[in-house]
Amino acid sequence: MNFSDNTDTHVETGLSRADASAVLVREAGVPFQPSLGNASGIDPIAEWLSLMEVVQMLCPVWLVRDTPMRGKHWKL
Amino acid sequence: MSNLAEQIREALSMFARNGTEPALIGGLAVVAHQVVRATKDVDFLVAAESADQVHDALLDLGYRCLYRSEDAANYVRAAEGLDLLYAHRPLARRLLAQASERETPMGRMRIISVEGLIGFKLQGFVNDATRTRDLDDIRALLKIHRASLDMIELREYFALFNKPELLNELLG
Repeated sequence: MNFSDNTDTHVETGLSRADASAVLVREAGVPFQPSLGNASGIDPIAEWLSLMEVVQMLCPVWLVRDTPMRGKHWKL
Repeated sequence: MSNLAEQIREALSMFARNGTEPALIGGLAVVAHQVVRATKDVDFLVAAESADQVHDALLDLGYRCLYRSEDAANYVRAAEGLDLLYAHRPLARRLLAQASERETPMGRMRIISVEGLIGFKLQGFVNDATRTRDLDDIRALLKIHRASLDMIELREYFALFNKPELLNELLG
């Protein structure tokens, strides 16, 4: 019987952690991010709008800020 | 167009009507700089001189002012939020002036540089250490743009907030 481990799967799908220029954002990120920007022709804001359409279907109500910004260190 | 996109388009129109040229900062600017994540943060950097004019315009659009100081303001309208930072110090003024224009599905908008965005994210984290998402954003921006970043400018921001070692830590 021929079993495939994770490494074989990566070879088949081309999704290697070592090769991918992946950015994992801890909260609501995308683990395998395609190359964005002018070189790829993919507009990150258009990608975000697509993402938010799905996010808002799944979570239509987001809490809005009910407390003001904190902080005393305004230096910029 | 989604409600969120419509909110941003409406804000951009308001700024244009008032002759104000803001720069996008915050979570959506992180997206514009190629870190695509879910966010409904609508944050703009505006010239401090425009604060009163923009305040009145936002109230006319139905926003309620939750907080306003010489540095920042928070507005809400039902489930929508909009935050402003005011550029009145030389660094923020320079970053506002140098923001680059980009055509987006919501209209033409100016977007702060990656270095400036990291500076503002750092300021947010220093002001409120519970905002760990700011650190995640900085880490992701550093990872994507490391080769092209102005490290001297970045080190100046981290030194300004007495966190020079944090940059090395985030760079890994």
